[in-house]
Amino acid sequence: MQWILSGDPPIRPNNCLWCCVCFLVMAMIQFSRTQTSLFSLLRLLSPFYRHKVSRRSMASDAATRFDFLVIGGGSGGLAGARRAAELGATATVIESHKLGGTCVNVGCVPKKVMWNTAVHAEFLHDHSDYGFDIGNVQFNWETIKAKRDAYVSRLNHIYRNNLDKTYNNKRKAKIETIQGHARFTNDPEPTVEVNGKKYTAPHILIATGGYPSLLSDNDVPGANHGITSDGFFELESLPKRSVIVGAGYIAVEMAGILSTLGSKTSVICRQTGVLRNFDAFISTNCTKELQNSGIELWKNTQVKSVSKKDNGLLEVTLVTKDQEKKNDEEKINTIQEVDCLLWAIGREPNTSGLNLSQVGVDIDERGFIIVDEFQNTTRKGIYAVGDVCGKALLTPVAIAAGRKLAHRLFEGKKDAKVDYSNIPSVVFSHPPIGSVGLTEEEAIKSRGKENVKSYKKSFTPMYHAITTRKTQCIMKMVCVGKEEKVVGLHMQGIGCDEMLQGFAVAIKMGATKADFDNTIAIHPTSSEEFVTMR
Amino acid sequence: MAAFCRGRYRWKRTNCIQFITRNLTGTFDYDLVVIGGGSGGLACSKEAAQLGQKVAVLDYVEPSVKGTKWGIGGTCVNVGCIPKKLMHQAALLGTALKDAQKYGWQVPGPISHDWRTMAEAVQNHIRSLNWGHRVQLQDKKVTYLNMKGRLVDEHTVQGLSKTGKETTLTAKNIVIATGGRPKYPTHVPGAIEHSITSDDIFWLKESPGKTLVVGASYVALECAGFLTGLGLDTTVMVRSVPLRGFDQQMAGLVTDYMEAYGTKFCWKSVPKRVAKLSCGKLQVTWTDRQTGQDQQDSFDSVLWAIGRAPETKTLNLEKVGIKLNKESGKILVGADESTSVPNIYAFGDIGEGRPELTPTAIKAGKLLARRLTGQSSELMNYDNVATTVFTPLEYGCVGLSEEEAESRHGKDSIEVYHAFYKPLEFTVAERDGSHCYIKVVCERGGDQRILGLHFTGPNAGEVTQGFAMGFRCGATMNHLKETVGIHPTCAEELTKVNISKRSGLDPTVTGC
Repeated sequence: MQWILSGDPPIRPNNCLWCCVCFLVMAMIQFSRTQTSLFSLLRLLSPFYRHKVSRRSMASDAATRFDFLVIGGGSGGLAGARRAAELGATATVIESHKLGGTCVNVGCVPKKVMWNTAVHAEFLHDHSDYGFDIGNVQFNWETIKAKRDAYVSRLNHIYRNNLDKTYNNKRKAKIETIQGHARFTNDPEPTVEVNGKKYTAPHILIATGGYPSLLSDNDVPGANHGITSDGFFELESLPKRSVIVGAGYIAVEMAGILSTLGSKTSVICRQTGVLRNFDAFISTNCTKELQNSGIELWKNTQVKSVSKKDNGLLEVTLVTKDQEKKNDEEKINTIQEVDCLLWAIGREPNTSGLNLSQVGVDIDERGFIIVDEFQNTTRKGIYAVGDVCGKALLTPVAIAAGRKLAHRLFEGKKDAKVDYSNIPSVVFSHPPIGSVGLTEEEAIKSRGKENVKSYKKSFTPMYHAITTRKTQCIMKMVCVGKEEKVVGLHMQGIGCDEMLQGFAVAIKMGATKADFDNTIAIHPTSSEEFVTMR
Repeated sequence: MAAFCRGRYRWKRTNCIQFITRNLTGTFDYDLVVIGGGSGGLACSKEAAQLGQKVAVLDYVEPSVKGTKWGIGGTCVNVGCIPKKLMHQAALLGTALKDAQKYGWQVPGPISHDWRTMAEAVQNHIRSLNWGHRVQLQDKKVTYLNMKGRLVDEHTVQGLSKTGKETTLTAKNIVIATGGRPKYPTHVPGAIEHSITSDDIFWLKESPGKTLVVGASYVALECAGFLTGLGLDTTVMVRSVPLRGFDQQMAGLVTDYMEAYGTKFCWKSVPKRVAKLSCGKLQVTWTDRQTGQDQQDSFDSVLWAIGRAPETKTLNLEKVGIKLNKESGKILVGADESTSVPNIYAFGDIGEGRPELTPTAIKAGKLLARRLTGQSSELMNYDNVATTVFTPLEYGCVGLSEEEAESRHGKDSIEVYHAFYKPLEFTVAERDGSHCYIKVVCERGGDQRILGLHFTGPNAGEVTQGFAMGFRCGATMNHLKETVGIHPTCAEELTKVNISKRSGLDPTVTGC
């Protein structure tokens, strides 16, 4: 009996003691809420029960107890909770906002919907080349906004259903959700308080994600007139004049969507191009494609101040200075009549209200929770997955981490952990970017220049064979060693979003250049160029 | 008689000269003569030339029954992959236009498509590719002869030009890569006179209008698919099953989607005759094999897509001792593409048992050239070639169908994982996603090595290539599961598939 209170993982799901304990815990949860008279009946049935109650009362006053307490109902938290429940644990999810987290509400999903909307704008340029007479096409932002919101609500609902549906097979209990903000208490056992009620579990998962950084008015006067990607999804109409600050993938995606849909768009970046942490081949090409598509790029530039004019529009003052040139003078410019200033300068962890220091969960200098490879925080019994850890901020990574953790804690799979190498990801730029593994620069750094060989290809996809509008498809394969093991694959072009996944499987398996060469092409596609590279 | 004598004389003389040159110098005009300038022939000739061989390639397009002709590059470039994919793209854009309205785009009035604009653009692109092939041959110093090739003996090829000029070439090695052409039925009156095939459809100047496509091969379904997508009234007549040889569950999803998309299907029906009416329309009579009743309808065009036949008739193959499969008419070939005559090789669509696919022909051609020049002994591996059918809902696959896996391994030894997923692009567009499906067939025991992988959905071609590579590397179910997904894409669903058919659980994907 001791282990259920001490916080060690219950790792014997199939023995009868486990069943008994499961039953008890469930019963306790029920009774602590309902206080029915059956209480005494149960006490008679189980010799364990009295012992349990007394221990619990001493640990924390009337804290409701679960096997697995998840703070944050986003991709990582929900995946972890569901998998834990499937493995027999009582799991509860605490969420302060809507189920689904960033991905569903203000990330991947609505972003991709908007990207798809923008892709239609590109198609509309090509329709006449392919023989369609379409006349004068107008775009209505309100229509897509309403559809998108409806779809997101539908997803929220699906997530709710999924939680309700995820029955813990042994106990026929659904996953509970608690609406509210969680805060760690000063109880000796890790315990959180939500809406004045206390909850505890031997395993507590923090999966609270993050939010977009916003500069304060002290950093940049008037910065608060701007929005972030969260605000982007609240826009009720298409801005006429947009200014996006940042050079990361979110900046690239937001700028691409706004510009393609018809907003005059400027991107302000501190250095000379976008996506600086990608392979230089991609970074350079994306910067070029961005400009080709009509986006105004301000290099070596920062926002100095923002002011709101009487007509409600913003005036954004920029300062440009080439860092490379020591004597380069600062140039001041302004962009007038801006109706959408969007900060895409990074994301911060959602940890402020959690009272982490109270329970001894350490954070790094940027506020992200420090975890080991098994998602353990510095406090025993408390774990963290997803964006709140600041590493590979991607939905599928959070999901995988949540599930692996559940397997480790509730199925006794001691070695279950996510392999953070070779994670494929896509940027929904125009055209999209796919990337997995090391950049050429990283490969050279780790393996030495003489051991790295790259193959490159760039071509116009067949789709554009008969269109006046053109985009390029570029590909790069980074190989190391004599056997030419493929350690990185980077691409930008139509279809690259759907192209990468399968190759990522092969790269994870340790594929070599020869394996690529030995694969027969699928004709006519763009992806076949990867298996016919020379 | 005079003509005969003259011909005889010339034959004697040329043979005599050849005999002398051959025996005096021990050399031939060329190291390699390739008959057929399609994907395989061109790849083989260019590779050989790059490896230092003296190479000539003969290419000649016999006009179709309807009189359609085209340039160098073979089926793929002129009457296959390239034009069909472009017209498929056009059709997808037609669908996109409907979707766009759900995405907030207000498209005024009825949408119309002009066949002429599209066809001209496609045809111009093909001509630019023909030109590109000519330039490449020149760059690589391959002699190009626009002639119909005919074998004289195991080292001699006679070329006949359009104007009737004959040229004789001798070569150390000869490669036959003349490919195939669409078949016409033999017992349907009016079929040959009044209908077209895939050799003609891409070169039509005017829209084919209301079209009957006979056949259910991938060619038939692809053509019917893009015609439907371009807004034409299209009917497919199927004698037995669609996409024979492909996984039949997947084939069913492909045709179900097409039916929902607007393509009409006449199942279990065989055409009886085609007659031209005075109004210019074609009246087609067919028998419904289920009811035994004859039925009739009129069409603007009838397209036969009932299979392809090898182009061997004029090659004089049997005379020089090259053995053919009597039934298919294709050349019997060994693993090294050798025929029954030493020094003569054959590959591509003309080779018995070879997949009729461009990339296999290209690769086989290159490897053959390398072997002929002694650069390598590597043989072409024809197993597990991935392919994609570009129907309105694309279908990509690699490896075994479920049926084939069952018959080879036994039902109890395989596990089939599957998932119905809804592409994100379908949700806002309010499109029915019920045909978007994934099936991974794998061994039941051990590491669950993957035996076959099947995917219907948007961009199936782009999705499948990478997985085909993983497949070639020996991927198992665990390899799929251990790969982090790319969100939100359709391809990621392949890494998430986890419901087995055996479990009986609902394979519908919900949430992320």
